[in-house]
Amino acid sequence: MSVQQDKHNVSLEWIKDQLNGFADLIDRTLVAPFGQIDLLYIKSVADGQILSRNVITPFYEMENINAYHNYITTYPGTEEETTREKAIELLLSGYILLGLNDTFCFFDAMNREISGVNETSAESISQGPSDALTEDIAINLNMIRRRYQSTNLKMETMVIGDVSKTKVAILYDITRVDPNVLAELREKMNTLKVDILQATGELEKFISSDSLRILPKSIVTERPDRVVFNLSEGKVAILLDTTGYAIVLPSIFNDFFTSMDDKIQLPIVGRFLKLLRIIGVCMTLWLPAIYVTLTAYNPEIIRVQVALLISGSRATVPYPSFVEVLLMLMMMEFLTEASLRLPKAIGPTATTVGGLILGQAATAAGLVGNIMIILVSAVAISNFLIPLNMMSLSIRVLKYIFLFAAAFLGLVGVVVCVVGFAMYLCNQRSFGQPYFRLFFLDNLGKKKGGEH
Amino acid sequence: MAKSRYFYCLFLMNSLINIINYVPRELIDRRFAGALTSILIGTIFGTLFVYIFTVLIAKFPGKGFPEIFHSLLPKKLARTLLLLFAGLWCVAGGVTLLSFVDITLRFISPDSSPYTVVISFLVLVCICCRFDSLSILYGLEIILSVTLPLIIYGLVKALTNPDFNWDSVLQVTTYFWHKPDLMSLSAATFSFSGYLNLAIFNRVFHGLKLKHVWILGVEGLSVLLLTFLVPIGYFGTVAIDRHVYTWFSTADSIRMENFIIERMLFIFYFAYLSLSLVSVIVHWHGGLELLKGAISSVKKQSPKAERWKEWSILGLFSAMVLSLMGLDQYELNMFGAWFLQIRWFGEMFIIALLFYCYRKARRGSL
Repeated sequence: MSVQQDKHNVSLEWIKDQLNGFADLIDRTLVAPFGQIDLLYIKSVADGQILSRNVITPFYEMENINAYHNYITTYPGTEEETTREKAIELLLSGYILLGLNDTFCFFDAMNREISGVNETSAESISQGPSDALTEDIAINLNMIRRRYQSTNLKMETMVIGDVSKTKVAILYDITRVDPNVLAELREKMNTLKVDILQATGELEKFISSDSLRILPKSIVTERPDRVVFNLSEGKVAILLDTTGYAIVLPSIFNDFFTSMDDKIQLPIVGRFLKLLRIIGVCMTLWLPAIYVTLTAYNPEIIRVQVALLISGSRATVPYPSFVEVLLMLMMMEFLTEASLRLPKAIGPTATTVGGLILGQAATAAGLVGNIMIILVSAVAISNFLIPLNMMSLSIRVLKYIFLFAAAFLGLVGVVVCVVGFAMYLCNQRSFGQPYFRLFFLDNLGKKKGGEH
Repeated sequence: MAKSRYFYCLFLMNSLINIINYVPRELIDRRFAGALTSILIGTIFGTLFVYIFTVLIAKFPGKGFPEIFHSLLPKKLARTLLLLFAGLWCVAGGVTLLSFVDITLRFISPDSSPYTVVISFLVLVCICCRFDSLSILYGLEIILSVTLPLIIYGLVKALTNPDFNWDSVLQVTTYFWHKPDLMSLSAATFSFSGYLNLAIFNRVFHGLKLKHVWILGVEGLSVLLLTFLVPIGYFGTVAIDRHVYTWFSTADSIRMENFIIERMLFIFYFAYLSLSLVSVIVHWHGGLELLKGAISSVKKQSPKAERWKEWSILGLFSAMVLSLMGLDQYELNMFGAWFLQIRWFGEMFIIALLFYCYRKARRGSL
């Protein structure tokens, strides 16, 4: 015992030495007739109210140092036996070091500055739950546990980030999860070495190593109901402290086109909405490429009336259709980006100025054809049909590949690219799971009595 | 592990592809001399081959030809055979590719350089055939599910056309009682050769069990009859002679009234180009793996060396295609016809070889 105390005594000096230069370090000694305690904490991360209510007031009320010692050590969240490094860590995270009877213990008085539960902003739906995950992991876990009340929901926690010390929780339903996925994830998380980890997107990037990939392999969502729904499908959710987003993996291509509305709607309506999204993706990916093909290479593909209409609208345009499309698409991208960054009050102005006036003026000046404007807005709007932001960004980038292929090779280029894209999708794996194939055919076989 | 339905995909792909792959040309050349009889006999042979081959290969679950040959045949013989088969698979893909380059130049973009087109095809195929077998099967299924409805739509449209001349079709059927000849037989059986891709793809099938093999026979027969008779219905029994790519000319004769795209040709071209690209990917994936099996060494190689090996094999394949680009249409046709015949004998040889391997394996295990 005495050896350990010695070590702690040394450690107190050592701790003070380590925290030298902390202006908000508080070092106090409370003295009462029956004994005294040493208090050491960092004011900015520790909660003063918890301190006075749960630590200082009981000390003076109890009037017995041993009873107080018992009270403190049995308080939930109090840590006793620790190493020097751990002591520093605890102090930095908001614990209060209490020195009584020559022993030390750490009292949990973390001060969390968080905003309350807000409504979803990036993935809003018309009906159904509207709470979003918060920036506090405890509240998030509460929201998920409340929706998934099962003993099978297991949780592992770990701390990632040498400086940021971000708490990470891995949740899964042990009866449904694929153990291979879990093993691969654990291995990746354990080998992770970063200083600062602040956003789920960063973590997502670290655990899926391929730097050239264009498609997201795991969903980053702010909806607790989506997390719960995916947990029930045997997926793994990763929650991060200090961000209001969760990662769900493994995720396949299809998952990114599922909105939480689909479950709520009538089945046929849900299917229709999904179909709309698929058509939207096809449009946003291929319309620019098809336009270039039709105007520059193979106008004979479409009806002669349509071909004449398009070339009529392009009569004044002084450059090839590829330049025209690229110009307008870039304008559209600028507008989207600008309206995202602008303050909310000016946002609508930018879109009005850009979309209406610029589009109108550009056609009037003869720089782009009328049909081009319609096409660009169709591309822009259909891109927003994708419920998850990461996928919609990927699709936004991907359409340029098709555009370039069409510009170089016409119809052949487009078809080659489409086949290549399909093969690329099929070759992707998300934590060992095939990313893209006709999953519904598997179920079809099962319904017929598992013939295949 | 793949499900058995992917085998049907492989089969369907091959039987649909034969519409462009010199098969209708060869059959129509012999329309008055036993093509119909050959189609019937070819169907019987083809279905029989499919059945025998799948039963035999199912005895080697999860194994491709390289694994089977290396374990059961003398080393040198195994290597030589694998090399020959790799050549066969490579040519199978190359022939499809070459004919599609020609079709593209003829029907879609006469202005573009043939080398641009062929290089764009080659880039896609070379990148994609290095994927693993399972991914390629998934991709094949996706492409089939997109193109099959289009092809069926095209066929229905072709058959319901009021200008379709049933008399010509009936006239050709009167030449039924001619003895079949080798060329049309080997052309007809090509429709059934999709099963051969199991040589490599059997690696992902564990215990392939086929139900209703007769469906494959019926499917093959109907595709062959459509391939053979529909162009005759459009161009007449004699005038059909003048068309090289009979089916593309046929598709170009069909008009769609209620659609933005008016000419069937483009729908057909889109469907068939994507399907043929996938089929070339499938064939070359087979060729690549077979050749890798032929030159494989015992010791494990680094991933980088492996990659170099794959790329040099693919470079060889591409060089083969590029060197054949100089052929004119007539030579290309001859080449395709030769390929069809050699392929048929190769098929018989492969089945006999597999039977021998099966016997040897069983004797070894007893």
